[in-house]
Amino acid sequence: MLKYSIRRLLGMIPMLILISVVVFSLAKLMPGDSLSGEIDPNNTNPEYIAEMREKLGYNDPLPVQYWNWITGFVQGDFGKSTKYKRPAFDVIMEKVPNTLFLGIMSLIITYILAFMMGMYSGRKPYTIGDNAIAGINYVMLAIPSFVAAVFAIYFFAFNLNWFPFGGSVDILVETGSAEYYLSRLHHVLLPALVLGAMSTASYTQFLRNDIIENSRKDFVRTARAKGTPMKKIYNVHILRNSIIPLVTFLGFDFAALIGGAIITETIFTYPGIGMLFLDSVTNRDYPTLMALTMLLSFLTLAGNLIADLLYGIVDPRIRLE
Amino acid sequence: MASSNTLTQQKKPERSLSPWQIARKKFIHNKLAMISTVFILIVTALSFAAPFLAPYLSPIPDVSRVNIGSMNIPPNSEHILGTDKSGRDVLTRLFYGGRISLVVGFSATLMVITLGTLVGSIAGFFGGLVDNILMRFTDFVLNFPFLVFVIVLNTILRDTIDGVSVLIIVIGVLSWGGVARLVRSKILAEKENEYVLAALSIGCSPMKVIRKHLLPNVMSTIIVQATLIFASMIVVESALSYLGFGVPQSVPSWGNMLSSANEPDVLQGKPWIWMPPALILTLTILSINFIGEGLKDALNPKSLR
Repeated sequence: MLKYSIRRLLGMIPMLILISVVVFSLAKLMPGDSLSGEIDPNNTNPEYIAEMREKLGYNDPLPVQYWNWITGFVQGDFGKSTKYKRPAFDVIMEKVPNTLFLGIMSLIITYILAFMMGMYSGRKPYTIGDNAIAGINYVMLAIPSFVAAVFAIYFFAFNLNWFPFGGSVDILVETGSAEYYLSRLHHVLLPALVLGAMSTASYTQFLRNDIIENSRKDFVRTARAKGTPMKKIYNVHILRNSIIPLVTFLGFDFAALIGGAIITETIFTYPGIGMLFLDSVTNRDYPTLMALTMLLSFLTLAGNLIADLLYGIVDPRIRLE
Repeated sequence: MASSNTLTQQKKPERSLSPWQIARKKFIHNKLAMISTVFILIVTALSFAAPFLAPYLSPIPDVSRVNIGSMNIPPNSEHILGTDKSGRDVLTRLFYGGRISLVVGFSATLMVITLGTLVGSIAGFFGGLVDNILMRFTDFVLNFPFLVFVIVLNTILRDTIDGVSVLIIVIGVLSWGGVARLVRSKILAEKENEYVLAALSIGCSPMKVIRKHLLPNVMSTIIVQATLIFASMIVVESALSYLGFGVPQSVPSWGNMLSSANEPDVLQGKPWIWMPPALILTLTILSINFIGEGLKDALNPKSLR
């Protein structure tokens, strides 16, 4: 396993370098000073720009510029946000907890929904309940997440008034109090539900099929022959075997959550990384945009790596390949 | 031996159905898939006939300009689905919007399938170093966070070339990875068959073997995949347009129409503006997915239906 992990980790390095080169080239294609954000975009005096360009090293050969940028980036120097006039690193880090909270909540919701529906369907396949669940899943898979989000806001936030329709916390509550945390939970539930419902369908169907397959295996027959109650067979013996392959989905969810967060956060005006990303595109805040692009690419890569590693843990045959 | 020969000569043998005929039969018997096909055909026909239909649909057929006199009218006998905040007829825009959404989805799918099949079949057939290089490149493309790069690339390029084609190219270039992997794995399995060896030994060029012998055999997989990709491409287009990073705001598309739901006032009080595109979009996606499932069933020789 160690050897496999090391091989996977080393395999990531060229990928990281390539992605950073692509991001750097994109930044160079953008107008103005998109990496450091030190040049004031409102000052159009050509002398000032020429002087700043010389000072910031924009007249150096490209490889030198790339090297300077990437060494700075690794040390946490993401340039200066042109909108907030602060280091992009700080701007981004402020939003990370919100997105993390949303991601974790949506994962929890996915797991709860998928386990309930998947276990029911697996125990009673080809019944009305199972077909209904399959139908719901089909619709959930087909509805685009942003359409689901719009409908969710319309029904649950506006018509039923169950949830607030935007933001991450009430402005009036005091930071750190119990109310504050409750308010945050209240704000995150609706976006998390929309985001979580996206991946529920595939989990449910996978769990269902795996439970059906496992319930035909010899160890189940043995357990039944010994007189183990059916409930225990399903909840302990079979479930334990069916959960293992599900673990590998986690890594892919990571990547899906990033894309999903951009859409969901923007619709719910939930101040996280995804909304910051779109804001920085609209405001032409290129240093923040490039730093975020880099960061999100790393996260996707990390997600794929986690999926690979988990796969290796679950299925030993993969390691020997 | 001789008797059986004369037998076949005397009685003309019933020709068994070709795989495509069997598939067509199975597909026609699948009710859900057939209803979906009819629905998609109607939506497509109405969308492409939009310029001709527009004069009959509403008193203001021109959806490209703002009509101050007729803003935010709820559905009535003149405007069946009402008008939006710029005074444009919602039903007419819905038809025009369908055209853009379908064209973008279709072109992007075509591009994804072409690129993916090309890379996948070459990698699968030649194997070795070629396979290694191409597949590492595919991994590389697959490792990009799709939405992030589509938005960034689109922002950089949209000022230089016409907005709709940029969107198609950007989406296409970034999403062929999955198809390439799929086609490669199918070709890898298929090329072990004797007929490939036979074709090579009589001097067929590798490209001809891929084109004439291997691709027809993996076609069913590609067709099913193309249907599912078509649905997801329509989603991508409308999601991007909804966020304001897809086709330019001046061009009506379902996503653009939905983006008016960003204003709480419209979302809460004027559902006739955003609900029609939301519903038709969902129904279209659902139908395409049903068609895909139907095709998968129909093209699978092992399925019993």
